[in-house]
Amino acid sequence: MNDPTPTVYLVDDDTDLLKAIARLLESASLKVATFESPEAFLEGHVGGAPGCLVLDLAMPGLNGLQLQQRLEQQGSTLPIVFLTGRGDIAASVQAMKHGASDFLTKPVDDKVLLTAIHEALAKGQALHRAGEEQERLARCLASLTERERQVLDGIVAGRLNKQIAAELGTVEKTVKFHRGNLMRKMGVRVVADLVKLAERAGIGTATGGSAG
Amino acid sequence: MNWVEIGWTVMSASSLTLGVIHLFVWFKQRAQYAHLLFFALAACATAFGAFELALMQASSPGAYAATLRWAHVPLAMFVLAMVWFVYFHFGAGRLWLAWSVCGFRLLGLGLNFATGVNINFRTVSAMDLMTLWGGAVVSGPVGAANPWAVVPQFGNLLLLAFVIDATVTLWRRGGANAHRRAAVVGGGVAVCITTVAGFAALITLGLVHAPTIVMPGVFVIVIAMGYELAWDMIAAAQLAAQLRASELRFRAVVEAVPSALLLVDDKGMIALANLQAEALFGYPRAELIARPVDTLSPERVRVAHAGMRDGYAKDPRNRAMGAGRALSVRRKDGAEIAVEVALSPMPTAQGLFTLVSVVDVSERRGLERETARQRDELAHLSRVAMLGELSGSLAHELNQPLTAILSNAQAAQRFLAQSPPRTDKLAEILSDIVKSDHRAGAVIQRLRAMLRKEEAQRQRLDLNDLVEESLRLMRSDLLNRHVEVSTDLVAELPAVDGDRNQLQQVLLNFMINGCDAMDGQAHGRSLLVRTQLTAPGHVEVSVADRGAGIAPADLERIFEPFVTTKSHGLGLGLAICRSIVEAHGGRLWASNNADAGATLHCELPAHPNGRQ
Repeated sequence: MNDPTPTVYLVDDDTDLLKAIARLLESASLKVATFESPEAFLEGHVGGAPGCLVLDLAMPGLNGLQLQQRLEQQGSTLPIVFLTGRGDIAASVQAMKHGASDFLTKPVDDKVLLTAIHEALAKGQALHRAGEEQERLARCLASLTERERQVLDGIVAGRLNKQIAAELGTVEKTVKFHRGNLMRKMGVRVVADLVKLAERAGIGTATGGSAG
Repeated sequence: MNWVEIGWTVMSASSLTLGVIHLFVWFKQRAQYAHLLFFALAACATAFGAFELALMQASSPGAYAATLRWAHVPLAMFVLAMVWFVYFHFGAGRLWLAWSVCGFRLLGLGLNFATGVNINFRTVSAMDLMTLWGGAVVSGPVGAANPWAVVPQFGNLLLLAFVIDATVTLWRRGGANAHRRAAVVGGGVAVCITTVAGFAALITLGLVHAPTIVMPGVFVIVIAMGYELAWDMIAAAQLAAQLRASELRFRAVVEAVPSALLLVDDKGMIALANLQAEALFGYPRAELIARPVDTLSPERVRVAHAGMRDGYAKDPRNRAMGAGRALSVRRKDGAEIAVEVALSPMPTAQGLFTLVSVVDVSERRGLERETARQRDELAHLSRVAMLGELSGSLAHELNQPLTAILSNAQAAQRFLAQSPPRTDKLAEILSDIVKSDHRAGAVIQRLRAMLRKEEAQRQRLDLNDLVEESLRLMRSDLLNRHVEVSTDLVAELPAVDGDRNQLQQVLLNFMINGCDAMDGQAHGRSLLVRTQLTAPGHVEVSVADRGAGIAPADLERIFEPFVTTKSHGLGLGLAICRSIVEAHGGRLWASNNADAGATLHCELPAHPNGRQ
């Protein structure tokens, strides 16, 4: 998580191919880790690290699609670029449905492969960043007191301080105090940003729904 | 002329006639000495008859004595001829007895001239005229007996013993012929000798006053011997007739048999040839007879053929048709035709003959070749269809190295494009490219070999290698169908003799069949490929699946053409596999596994020289 350079994880049971593609990626200055089987990958790679997976579809033991499912179950967000020997439509549809980043047919041209990998890496990076943002948000939300949270819900629902005070059975001045505290804890300066954050954290719709 | 003169003349003349007839026979058949001996016998009898007639007409004692002395010469010769006739012609009698008889008789003949007036009388003092029955008047001698007469008389006893012994031997030999011969010759001769010799002894001793009458006994012996000899000639004639008939039958059979027949003598010359031989070899019979049989072999094997013939002469036995190597003969027009040859030895008095029977099998060979060609063609068609089924897998097997090559090459380009260019990895990259190229090349070559349409070519193969190679070709297909493969390959497996493409086809078919059998099933799709040594000199390769198995009624039927349990396919695959394996001298069968699924087995004879 702290490693800034993303890794391309290569999984293929054909060692000649594994070596060749790893070499190609290295020539493009990418950091590569190779695995000869899905099982070896599951054992060897550290979950949550940034990067992408380049996966052969047909392999003995677990095949590519099965590995994708396994990772999905584990909650991994690692983007996957599939490499396949044959343009199997059913397999590609299934792969894409489960969020594959790309589905390429061998032999694959370097530009195509590198583009796909870069896209996947970017996606991975974005997901990684989004994940981190989400975590920060959750931390902020967790730091709010119960009263502050109630005030936040009121703000997101678009109520006035007076209305919130009446709802909570307190005075407007107290609401204003809580509002200042929670704005500071959430790291925002204007209400508009606070609402945006709350929306991203999925607060607005839920509480709005129940209140409306 | 009285009856004595007539009788003695007739006996002498008859003897001479018989003798001359047999002399003539002997001239025609020089090997038949019995006829010459008989002529001597008969001629002596004739001469003796004349002497005896002269004795009976002798007018003075001197003339009587002199005549009797000379009469002993033909008599002795007669006895000698008779002894050897019996000994040689009938093959009976003891040699020492025969010599003894001759010795005493010749000794008697010597004494006949050395003592007295002859061997019978020391002196003859007077002649006595006697009137015989019928009024014939003959003269008889009056005189003193010669004591040396015991010598020829003892000889007569020996002669009797010799004849009786020969008769017993003949009789014991058994058979109607020998019995008749013993009775006629033995009986006749013994009685005559006893009578004549006894009578002569009585006269000589003066106990009986009568003329010496020997000629009738001698004549009876001549007749008895002549009868036997004539009987032999008749038997020989009958035998010759039978032989002719049997030879005619033999010739008819020889002409009628459907194969070409040659009778070859111990020098390799053709003694006899039939109509089919003329047709097969294209020579008229006259050119075949007395021709060296080696010249019927193609020139390139002529020397070898002569060697084989010598080998056969050392160990002549019946050699069956088709038991030997593939032979061919050369026709007169130079064409070579494939034949099968059978030999039967025929030992004869003229040496070892061999009956050679030759059958033209070129048509059969042609049919066999045609059958093999059709089988190969069908195998090829089925192989092409099977490769079609495997095309995805094969494409994948090509695609992998091609992808590796492309990626390696592009990596190299990128390394070179860097500034400064990186060259440290180039050697490694190039060597990997070469490796991948070989890998792709091998797949293409295998594919080309399998697709090529050519006659089956036998070579030594390691079944384990073939299994590994087939699994490589099937790899992608097995992965796609989620079939796991395990192998149980026996190390040090003896090689087999076979066509690589066809046997690989069998293996691939086995594996495809195994996969097809597990198509519907969600779990446990696996194949076990096994090689093992079964019966001595046999290796087996089997593919076991974990499918539903085969209905017992279908275990044999699945090898019939157009029988299939699948929705796709013609049902020819296993039928063709069986014909392939049977052409390799092996067998193919299916069995159900104890736990689950079925196994296809292929057993092949191991190469006699063991491992590859």
